[in-house]
Amino acid sequence: MRPMSNAAMNAPGSAEANSSLGNAGLRIPGQPDMWAFVMFEALIFSSYFIVYMIRRAMAGDHFLPAQEHLSQGFGVANTLILLLSSWFMAGSVRSAREGKYDIALRQVLLTAACGLLFVGLKLLEWSDKIGEGLTLSTNEFFSFYYFLTAIHVLHVLFGFVVLAVAARELRSPPRRSQEIVETCATYWHMIDFLWVIIFALLYVMR
Amino acid sequence: MSASIAAAVTPRPSGLPGRIAWHWRHDPKAELWIIWYAMVFFYILFGIVFVLLTHVIPPPQPYWDPPRVVQWFNDHHYGLLSGFGIIFLVTGLVAACNALIGYSIWRMSVSPAFAYSYIAIYSLSATPGLLLTAIALTVGAMRPERNPDLIYWLYDMAIMCFDGTMGVFLIGTLVWMIAILIDKNNVFPKWFGYLNICNLITEFVVAPAWVFKSGVFSWNGTIAFWIDTVVFAIFTVAFITLLKRVIVRDDFGTGPLPDGDARTAIHPEA
Repeated sequence: MRPMSNAAMNAPGSAEANSSLGNAGLRIPGQPDMWAFVMFEALIFSSYFIVYMIRRAMAGDHFLPAQEHLSQGFGVANTLILLLSSWFMAGSVRSAREGKYDIALRQVLLTAACGLLFVGLKLLEWSDKIGEGLTLSTNEFFSFYYFLTAIHVLHVLFGFVVLAVAARELRSPPRRSQEIVETCATYWHMIDFLWVIIFALLYVMR
Repeated sequence: MSASIAAAVTPRPSGLPGRIAWHWRHDPKAELWIIWYAMVFFYILFGIVFVLLTHVIPPPQPYWDPPRVVQWFNDHHYGLLSGFGIIFLVTGLVAACNALIGYSIWRMSVSPAFAYSYIAIYSLSATPGLLLTAIALTVGAMRPERNPDLIYWLYDMAIMCFDGTMGVFLIGTLVWMIAILIDKNNVFPKWFGYLNICNLITEFVVAPAWVFKSGVFSWNGTIAFWIDTVVFAIFTVAFITLLKRVIVRDDFGTGPLPDGDARTAIHPEA
Protein backbone atom coordinates (compact mmCIF):
# COMPACT_ATOMS: atom_id res chain seq x y z
CA MET A 1 0.00 0.00 0.00
CA ARG A 2 1.70 3.16 -1.08
CA PRO A 3 0.92 6.23 0.97
CA MET A 4 -0.65 9.15 -0.90
CA SER A 5 2.35 11.36 -0.28
CA ASN A 6 4.78 8.67 -1.35
CA ALA A 7 2.84 7.76 -4.44
CA ALA A 8 4.67 7.87 -7.72
CA MET A 9 5.60 11.50 -8.08
CA ASN A 10 5.66 11.43 -11.80
CA ALA A 11 7.33 14.50 -13.14
CA PRO A 12 6.46 14.98 -16.80
CA GLY A 13 8.91 13.21 -19.01
CA SER A 14 10.43 11.20 -16.15
CA ALA A 15 11.06 7.51 -16.61
CA GLU A 16 8.42 6.73 -14.01
CA ALA A 17 5.86 8.93 -15.72
CA ASN A 18 6.59 7.35 -19.08
CA SER A 19 6.41 3.89 -17.57
CA SER A 20 3.10 4.85 -15.98
CA LEU A 21 1.84 6.01 -19.36
CA GLY A 22 3.07 2.90 -21.10
CA ASN A 23 1.46 0.56 -18.61
CA ALA A 24 -1.75 2.56 -18.25
CA GLY A 25 -3.80 -0.24 -19.71
CA LEU A 26 -2.26 -2.92 -17.48
CA ARG A 27 -2.68 -1.46 -14.02
CA ILE A 28 -5.56 -0.40 -11.80
CA PRO A 29 -5.99 3.38 -12.14
CA GLY A 30 -5.29 5.15 -8.85
CA GLN A 31 -4.63 3.61 -5.47
CA PRO A 32 -6.01 0.08 -4.92
CA ASP A 33 -6.96 1.40 -1.46
CA MET A 34 -9.51 3.73 -3.05
CA TRP A 35 -10.96 0.84 -5.05
CA ALA A 36 -11.37 -1.14 -1.82
CA PHE A 37 -13.23 1.86 -0.39
CA VAL A 38 -15.43 2.14 -3.50
CA MET A 39 -16.34 -1.56 -3.22
CA PHE A 40 -17.22 -1.15 0.46
CA GLU A 41 -19.29 1.97 -0.23
CA ALA A 42 -21.07 0.13 -3.03
CA LEU A 43 -21.92 -2.64 -0.56
CA ILE A 44 -23.28 -0.17 2.00
CA PHE A 45 -25.37 1.68 -0.57
CA SER A 46 -26.56 -1.66 -2.01
CA SER A 47 -27.86 -2.55 1.43
CA TYR A 48 -29.80 0.76 1.52
CA PHE A 49 -31.18 0.05 -1.95
CA ILE A 50 -32.23 -3.47 -0.99
CA VAL A 51 -34.01 -2.16 2.12
CA TYR A 52 -35.74 0.47 -0.06
CA MET A 53 -36.86 -2.17 -2.57
CA ILE A 54 -38.17 -4.46 0.18
CA ARG A 55 -40.08 -1.62 1.86
CA ARG A 56 -41.42 -0.53 -1.52
CA ALA A 57 -42.64 -4.06 -2.27
CA MET A 58 -44.20 -4.32 1.19
CA ALA A 59 -45.90 -0.92 0.96
CA GLY A 60 -47.99 -1.96 -2.04
CA ASP A 61 -49.36 1.10 -3.83
CA HIS A 62 -48.34 3.64 -1.19
CA PHE A 63 -45.04 4.60 -2.80
CA LEU A 64 -46.40 5.42 -6.26
CA PRO A 65 -48.59 8.45 -5.39
CA ALA A 66 -45.75 9.87 -3.28
CA GLN A 67 -43.30 9.30 -6.12
CA GLU A 68 -45.54 11.40 -8.41
CA HIS A 69 -44.57 14.48 -6.38
CA LEU A 70 -40.94 14.22 -7.49
CA SER A 71 -39.91 16.41 -10.40
CA GLN A 72 -38.45 14.35 -13.24
CA GLY A 73 -36.86 17.58 -14.51
CA PHE A 74 -34.74 17.96 -11.37
CA GLY A 75 -33.75 14.30 -11.48
CA VAL A 76 -32.73 14.35 -15.15
CA ALA A 77 -30.87 17.67 -14.74
CA ASN A 78 -28.98 16.31 -11.73
CA THR A 79 -28.06 13.16 -13.65
CA LEU A 80 -26.85 15.05 -16.71
CA ILE A 81 -24.81 17.45 -14.57
CA LEU A 82 -23.08 14.60 -12.73
CA LEU A 83 -22.44 12.69 -15.97
CA LEU A 84 -20.93 15.86 -17.41
CA SER A 85 -18.79 16.27 -14.28
CA SER A 86 -17.53 12.69 -14.64
CA TRP A 87 -16.71 13.38 -18.28
CA PHE A 88 -14.64 16.43 -17.24
CA MET A 89 -12.90 14.35 -14.57
CA ALA A 90 -12.06 11.58 -17.03
CA GLY A 91 -10.73 14.27 -19.37
CA SER A 92 -8.60 15.63 -16.56
CA VAL A 93 -7.00 12.22 -15.98
CA ARG A 94 -6.29 11.90 -19.71
CA SER A 95 -4.84 15.42 -19.92
CA ALA A 96 -2.63 14.78 -16.89
CA ARG A 97 -1.36 11.56 -18.49
CA GLU A 98 -0.43 13.57 -21.57
CA GLY A 99 1.34 16.15 -19.43
CA LYS A 100 -1.24 18.89 -20.22
CA TYR A 101 -1.53 19.97 -16.61
CA ASP A 102 -3.15 23.37 -17.24
CA ILE A 103 -5.98 21.74 -19.17
CA ALA A 104 -6.25 19.00 -16.54
CA LEU A 105 -6.56 21.62 -13.80
CA ARG A 106 -9.26 23.48 -15.74
CA GLN A 107 -11.17 20.22 -16.16
CA VAL A 108 -10.98 19.55 -12.41
CA LEU A 109 -12.38 23.04 -11.77
CA LEU A 110 -15.19 22.37 -14.26
CA THR A 111 -15.90 19.11 -12.43
CA ALA A 112 -16.15 21.05 -9.17
CA ALA A 113 -18.44 23.61 -10.83
CA CYS A 114 -20.76 20.80 -11.95
CA GLY A 115 -20.66 19.41 -8.41
CA LEU A 116 -21.65 22.82 -7.02
CA LEU A 117 -24.47 23.06 -9.53
CA PHE A 118 -25.63 19.59 -8.50
CA VAL A 119 -25.69 20.53 -4.81
CA GLY A 120 -27.41 23.84 -5.61
CA LEU A 121 -30.12 22.06 -7.60
CA LYS A 122 -30.55 19.52 -4.84
CA LEU A 123 -31.03 22.28 -2.26
CA LEU A 124 -33.55 23.95 -4.56
CA GLU A 125 -35.41 20.68 -5.00
CA TRP A 126 -35.46 20.02 -1.24
CA SER A 127 -36.74 23.53 -0.48
CA ASP A 128 -39.38 23.08 -3.18
CA LYS A 129 -40.58 19.83 -1.61
CA ILE A 130 -40.50 21.21 1.93
CA GLY A 131 -42.52 24.19 0.65
CA GLU A 132 -45.12 21.70 -0.59
CA GLY A 133 -45.24 20.17 2.91
CA LEU A 134 -43.34 17.05 1.87
CA THR A 135 -40.81 16.46 4.65
CA LEU A 136 -38.73 13.59 6.03
CA SER A 137 -41.66 12.26 8.07
CA THR A 138 -44.48 12.87 5.55
CA ASN A 139 -44.44 9.27 4.35
CA GLU A 140 -41.99 6.40 3.94
CA PHE A 141 -41.15 7.24 0.34
CA PHE A 142 -40.08 10.75 1.28
CA SER A 143 -38.11 9.39 4.24
CA PHE A 144 -36.09 7.34 1.76
CA TYR A 145 -35.95 10.25 -0.70
CA TYR A 146 -34.44 12.67 1.83
CA PHE A 147 -32.20 10.00 3.36
CA LEU A 148 -30.70 8.66 0.13
CA THR A 149 -30.25 12.07 -1.49
CA ALA A 150 -28.78 13.60 1.70
CA ILE A 151 -26.27 10.78 2.20
CA HIS A 152 -25.32 11.14 -1.46
CA VAL A 153 -24.89 14.92 -1.12
CA LEU A 154 -22.59 14.25 1.86
CA HIS A 155 -20.43 12.18 -0.48
CA VAL A 156 -20.47 15.03 -3.00
CA LEU A 157 -19.29 17.41 -0.26
CA PHE A 158 -16.42 15.01 0.51
CA GLY A 159 -15.85 15.00 -3.23
CA PHE A 160 -15.02 18.72 -3.16
CA VAL A 161 -12.16 17.96 -0.75
CA VAL A 162 -11.03 15.18 -3.08
CA LEU A 163 -11.14 17.55 -6.08
CA ALA A 164 -9.14 20.11 -4.09
CA VAL A 165 -6.47 17.44 -3.54
CA ALA A 166 -6.42 16.72 -7.31
CA ALA A 167 -6.18 20.44 -8.10
CA ARG A 168 -3.32 20.83 -5.60
CA GLU A 169 -1.43 18.01 -7.29
CA LEU A 170 -1.94 19.47 -10.76
CA ARG A 171 -1.02 23.05 -9.81
CA SER A 172 2.38 22.28 -8.36
CA PRO A 173 5.08 20.86 -10.72
CA PRO A 174 6.99 19.03 -7.91
CA ARG A 175 3.87 17.08 -6.96
CA ARG A 176 1.80 16.09 -10.01
CA SER A 177 1.17 12.51 -9.05
CA GLN A 178 -0.80 10.73 -11.74
CA GLU A 179 -1.80 8.11 -9.19
CA ILE A 180 -3.40 10.67 -6.88
CA VAL A 181 -5.29 12.35 -9.73
CA GLU A 182 -6.61 8.93 -10.76
CA THR A 183 -7.50 8.13 -7.15
CA CYS A 184 -9.50 11.36 -6.91
CA ALA A 185 -11.21 10.58 -10.23
CA THR A 186 -12.15 7.12 -8.94
CA TYR A 187 -13.91 8.71 -5.96
CA TRP A 188 -15.75 11.20 -8.17
CA HIS A 189 -16.92 8.50 -10.58
CA MET A 190 -18.25 6.57 -7.58
CA ILE A 191 -20.43 9.57 -6.71
CA ASP A 192 -21.78 9.59 -10.25
CA PHE A 193 -22.35 5.84 -10.28
CA LEU A 194 -24.27 5.96 -6.97
CA TRP A 195 -26.43 8.86 -8.17
CA VAL A 196 -27.46 7.03 -11.34
CA ILE A 197 -28.82 4.17 -9.20
CA ILE A 198 -30.54 6.58 -6.78
CA PHE A 199 -32.07 8.42 -9.75
CA ALA A 200 -33.33 5.14 -11.23
CA LEU A 201 -34.81 3.98 -7.93
CA LEU A 202 -36.44 7.21 -6.77
CA TYR A 203 -37.37 9.04 -9.96
CA VAL A 204 -37.76 6.43 -12.70
CA MET A 205 -38.82 3.09 -11.24
CA ARG A 206 -42.59 2.70 -11.11
CA MET B 1 16.55 -0.15 20.62
CA SER B 2 18.98 -1.94 22.98
CA ALA B 3 16.00 -3.61 24.62
CA SER B 4 15.04 -4.87 21.17
CA ILE B 5 18.47 -6.37 20.73
CA ALA B 6 18.28 -8.06 24.15
CA ALA B 7 14.87 -9.40 23.25
CA ALA B 8 16.21 -10.70 19.98
CA VAL B 9 19.12 -12.66 21.51
CA THR B 10 17.32 -14.13 24.55
CA PRO B 11 15.61 -17.37 23.51
CA ARG B 12 11.86 -17.44 23.95
CA PRO B 13 10.68 -20.42 26.05
CA SER B 14 7.80 -22.57 24.93
CA GLY B 15 4.58 -22.77 26.90
CA LEU B 16 2.21 -19.94 27.71
CA PRO B 17 3.44 -19.02 31.25
CA GLY B 18 7.06 -19.07 30.08
CA ARG B 19 6.25 -16.91 27.07
CA ILE B 20 4.33 -14.41 29.20
CA ALA B 21 7.25 -14.22 31.66
CA TRP B 22 9.70 -13.78 28.77
CA HIS B 23 7.68 -10.95 27.28
CA TRP B 24 7.32 -9.32 30.69
CA ARG B 25 11.13 -9.31 31.18
CA HIS B 26 12.46 -8.81 27.70
CA ASP B 27 9.85 -7.48 25.31
CA PRO B 28 10.19 -3.72 24.92
CA LYS B 29 6.65 -3.73 23.55
CA ALA B 30 5.17 -5.42 26.64
CA GLU B 31 3.46 -2.19 27.72
CA LEU B 32 1.89 -1.73 24.29
CA TRP B 33 0.69 -5.33 24.31
CA ILE B 34 -0.89 -4.86 27.75
CA ILE B 35 -2.80 -1.88 26.42
CA TRP B 36 -3.81 -3.78 23.26
CA TYR B 37 -5.12 -6.77 25.23
CA ALA B 38 -6.92 -4.39 27.60
CA MET B 39 -8.66 -2.89 24.56
CA VAL B 40 -9.65 -6.33 23.22
CA PHE B 41 -10.87 -7.34 26.69
CA PHE B 42 -12.96 -4.15 26.89
CA TYR B 43 -14.62 -4.68 23.51
CA ILE B 44 -15.40 -8.35 24.28
CA LEU B 45 -16.85 -7.38 27.65
CA PHE B 46 -18.80 -4.53 26.04
CA GLY B 47 -20.36 -7.00 23.58
CA ILE B 48 -21.23 -9.53 26.30
CA VAL B 49 -22.80 -6.88 28.56
CA PHE B 50 -24.76 -4.98 25.92
CA VAL B 51 -25.93 -8.02 23.92
CA LEU B 52 -26.27 -10.86 26.40
CA LEU B 53 -26.70 -9.35 29.85
CA THR B 54 -28.60 -6.09 29.42
CA HIS B 55 -30.23 -6.71 26.00
CA VAL B 56 -29.59 -3.11 24.92
CA ILE B 57 -28.17 -4.42 21.61
CA PRO B 58 -30.30 -4.77 19.60
CA PRO B 59 -32.24 -1.91 21.19
CA PRO B 60 -35.81 -2.62 22.30
CA GLN B 61 -38.74 -1.03 20.44
CA PRO B 62 -39.00 2.79 20.39
CA TYR B 63 -42.82 2.75 20.04
CA TRP B 64 -43.59 0.85 23.26
CA ASP B 65 -45.94 2.48 25.78
CA PRO B 66 -44.96 3.01 29.45
CA PRO B 67 -46.41 -0.31 30.78
CA ARG B 68 -44.48 -2.29 28.13
CA VAL B 69 -41.29 -0.39 28.96
CA VAL B 70 -41.75 -1.12 32.67
CA GLN B 71 -42.20 -4.78 31.78
CA TRP B 72 -38.92 -4.69 29.79
CA PHE B 73 -37.12 -3.29 32.83
CA ASN B 74 -38.65 -6.02 35.00
CA ASP B 75 -37.73 -8.75 32.51
CA HIS B 76 -34.10 -7.64 32.49
CA HIS B 77 -33.83 -6.37 36.06
CA TYR B 78 -30.84 -8.45 37.18
CA GLY B 79 -29.17 -8.35 33.78
CA LEU B 80 -29.29 -4.54 33.74
CA LEU B 81 -27.94 -4.19 37.29
CA SER B 82 -25.17 -6.78 36.98
CA GLY B 83 -24.26 -5.86 33.39
CA PHE B 84 -23.93 -2.17 33.98
CA GLY B 85 -22.20 -2.88 37.30
CA ILE B 86 -19.48 -4.52 35.19
CA ILE B 87 -19.48 -1.55 32.80
CA PHE B 88 -18.99 0.89 35.70
CA LEU B 89 -15.98 -1.17 36.77
CA VAL B 90 -14.31 -1.32 33.37
CA THR B 91 -15.32 1.97 31.72
CA GLY B 92 -11.84 3.26 32.51
CA LEU B 93 -10.50 0.84 29.90
CA VAL B 94 -11.79 3.29 27.30
CA ALA B 95 -8.60 5.15 28.18
CA ALA B 96 -6.58 2.15 26.93
CA CYS B 97 -8.30 2.29 23.53
CA ASN B 98 -7.83 6.03 23.24
CA ALA B 99 -4.24 5.86 24.41
CA LEU B 100 -3.26 3.18 21.91
CA ILE B 101 -4.92 4.97 19.00
CA GLY B 102 -3.36 8.22 20.23
CA TYR B 103 0.03 6.46 20.31
CA SER B 104 -0.47 5.22 16.74
CA ILE B 105 -1.23 8.79 15.60
CA TRP B 106 1.77 10.08 17.56
CA ARG B 107 3.90 7.52 15.66
CA MET B 108 2.78 9.08 12.35
CA SER B 109 4.55 11.92 10.59
CA VAL B 110 1.69 14.29 11.50
CA SER B 111 1.57 16.84 14.31
CA PRO B 112 0.95 15.37 17.81
CA ALA B 113 -2.01 17.80 17.94
CA PHE B 114 -3.95 15.15 16.00
CA ALA B 115 -3.32 12.58 18.74
CA TYR B 116 -4.26 15.02 21.51
CA SER B 117 -7.45 16.05 19.67
CA TYR B 118 -8.45 12.44 19.13
CA ILE B 119 -7.87 11.47 22.76
CA ALA B 120 -9.76 14.52 24.07
CA ILE B 121 -12.76 13.99 21.76
CA TYR B 122 -13.11 10.27 22.39
CA SER B 123 -12.63 10.64 26.15
CA LEU B 124 -15.53 13.10 26.24
CA SER B 125 -17.63 10.93 23.90
CA ALA B 126 -17.59 8.01 26.35
CA THR B 127 -19.79 10.03 28.71
CA PRO B 128 -22.94 10.26 26.56
CA GLY B 129 -22.25 7.15 24.51
CA LEU B 130 -21.62 4.76 27.38
CA LEU B 131 -21.87 6.12 30.91
CA LEU B 132 -25.15 8.07 30.63
CA THR B 133 -26.83 5.05 29.02
CA ALA B 134 -25.58 2.77 31.77
CA ILE B 135 -26.59 5.19 34.55
CA ALA B 136 -30.09 5.85 33.15
CA LEU B 137 -30.87 2.15 32.66
CA THR B 138 -29.46 1.23 36.07
CA VAL B 139 -31.57 3.95 37.72
CA GLY B 140 -34.60 2.62 35.83
CA ALA B 141 -33.95 -0.96 36.92
CA MET B 142 -33.12 -0.01 40.51
CA ARG B 143 -36.70 0.70 41.65
CA PRO B 144 -39.28 -1.26 39.60
CA GLU B 145 -42.11 0.37 41.62
CA ARG B 146 -41.19 3.85 40.33
CA ASN B 147 -43.75 5.91 38.38
CA PRO B 148 -44.00 4.30 34.88
CA ASP B 149 -43.79 7.72 33.22
CA LEU B 150 -40.43 8.31 34.89
CA ILE B 151 -39.22 4.86 33.81
CA TYR B 152 -40.42 5.69 30.29
CA TRP B 153 -38.40 8.93 30.38
CA LEU B 154 -35.28 7.09 31.55
CA TYR B 155 -35.75 4.51 28.80
CA ASP B 156 -35.88 7.15 26.05
CA MET B 157 -32.95 9.02 27.51
CA ALA B 158 -30.82 5.88 27.87
CA ILE B 159 -31.39 4.52 24.37
CA MET B 160 -31.03 7.91 22.71
CA CYS B 161 -27.80 8.53 24.61
CA PHE B 162 -26.50 5.21 23.35
CA ASP B 163 -27.85 5.29 19.81
CA GLY B 164 -28.60 8.91 19.06
CA THR B 165 -25.39 10.59 20.15
CA MET B 166 -23.11 8.84 17.70
CA GLY B 167 -22.49 12.19 16.08
CA VAL B 168 -20.16 13.09 18.95
CA PHE B 169 -17.68 10.62 17.43
CA LEU B 170 -17.80 12.42 14.07
CA ILE B 171 -14.95 14.85 14.59
CA GLY B 172 -12.78 12.21 16.26
CA THR B 173 -13.17 9.93 13.25
CA LEU B 174 -12.42 12.87 10.95
CA VAL B 175 -9.23 13.68 12.88
CA TRP B 176 -8.05 10.07 12.67
CA MET B 177 -8.91 9.88 8.95
CA ILE B 178 -6.98 13.04 8.07
CA ALA B 179 -3.98 11.89 10.13
CA ILE B 180 -3.89 8.52 8.31
CA LEU B 181 -4.26 10.03 4.85
CA ILE B 182 -1.51 12.64 5.26
CA ASP B 183 0.84 10.38 7.23
CA LYS B 184 4.13 9.58 5.49
CA ASN B 185 5.21 6.89 7.99
CA ASN B 186 2.77 4.35 6.59
CA VAL B 187 1.44 3.53 10.07
CA PHE B 188 -1.97 2.53 8.72
CA PRO B 189 -2.83 1.48 5.17
CA LYS B 190 -4.65 4.16 3.18
CA TRP B 191 -7.71 1.93 2.70
CA PHE B 192 -8.28 2.18 6.43
CA GLY B 193 -8.16 5.97 6.14
CA TYR B 194 -10.87 5.76 3.51
CA LEU B 195 -12.81 3.27 5.65
CA ASN B 196 -13.01 6.06 8.24
CA ILE B 197 -15.28 7.89 5.76
CA CYS B 198 -17.74 4.96 5.95
CA ASN B 199 -17.64 5.08 9.75
CA LEU B 200 -18.05 8.84 9.64
CA ILE B 201 -21.13 8.55 7.42
CA THR B 202 -22.75 6.20 9.95
CA GLU B 203 -22.74 9.10 12.40
CA PHE B 204 -25.09 10.91 10.01
CA VAL B 205 -27.17 7.84 9.16
CA VAL B 206 -28.22 7.48 12.79
CA ALA B 207 -29.63 11.04 12.89
CA PRO B 208 -33.19 10.12 11.71
CA ALA B 209 -33.54 8.03 14.91
CA TRP B 210 -34.44 11.34 16.61
CA VAL B 211 -37.48 11.67 14.31
CA PHE B 212 -38.87 8.16 13.80
CA LYS B 213 -40.43 5.87 16.42
CA SER B 214 -40.76 2.93 14.05
CA GLY B 215 -39.47 1.71 10.72
CA VAL B 216 -36.03 1.41 9.18
CA PHE B 217 -34.86 4.83 10.42
CA SER B 218 -35.89 4.37 14.06
CA TRP B 219 -33.33 3.67 16.79
CA ASN B 220 -33.52 -0.08 16.18
CA GLY B 221 -34.29 0.18 12.46
CA THR B 222 -32.57 -1.73 9.67
CA ILE B 223 -30.78 1.35 8.34
CA ALA B 224 -30.27 3.53 11.43
CA PHE B 225 -29.17 0.65 13.62
CA TRP B 226 -28.38 -2.65 11.87
CA ILE B 227 -26.47 -1.46 8.82
CA ASP B 228 -24.68 1.15 10.93
CA THR B 229 -23.75 -1.50 13.48
CA VAL B 230 -22.38 -3.84 10.80
CA VAL B 231 -20.23 -1.01 9.39
CA PHE B 232 -19.05 -0.08 12.88
CA ALA B 233 -18.25 -3.72 13.71
CA ILE B 234 -16.19 -4.12 10.52
CA PHE B 235 -14.43 -0.83 11.29
CA THR B 236 -13.72 -1.91 14.88
CA VAL B 237 -12.34 -5.33 13.90
CA ALA B 238 -10.21 -3.59 11.23
CA PHE B 239 -8.68 -1.06 13.61
CA ILE B 240 -8.05 -3.61 16.40
CA THR B 241 -6.26 -5.88 13.90
CA LEU B 242 -4.33 -2.97 12.38
CA LEU B 243 -3.28 -1.68 15.82
CA LYS B 244 -1.84 -5.14 16.50
CA ARG B 245 0.11 -4.88 13.24
CA VAL B 246 1.33 -1.41 14.25
CA ILE B 247 2.72 -2.81 17.52
CA VAL B 248 4.42 -5.69 15.70
CA ARG B 249 5.93 -3.32 13.13
CA ASP B 250 6.87 -0.56 15.56
CA ASP B 251 10.63 -0.03 15.71
CA PHE B 252 10.38 2.83 18.24
CA GLY B 253 11.87 5.11 15.64
CA THR B 254 10.44 8.22 14.05
CA GLY B 255 10.54 7.35 10.35
CA PRO B 256 8.35 5.05 8.25
CA LEU B 257 7.29 1.83 9.94
CA PRO B 258 8.87 -1.33 8.49
CA ASP B 259 6.46 -3.64 6.70
CA GLY B 260 7.33 -6.74 8.73
CA ASP B 261 8.11 -7.52 12.37
CA ALA B 262 10.42 -4.72 13.55
CA ARG B 263 12.54 -7.14 15.65
CA THR B 264 13.27 -9.52 12.78
CA ALA B 265 13.72 -6.59 10.43
CA ILE B 266 16.54 -5.32 12.65
CA HIS B 267 17.97 -8.79 13.44
CA PRO B 268 17.04 -11.22 10.69
CA GLU B 269 18.83 -14.06 12.53
CA ALA B 270 16.57 -13.74 15.61
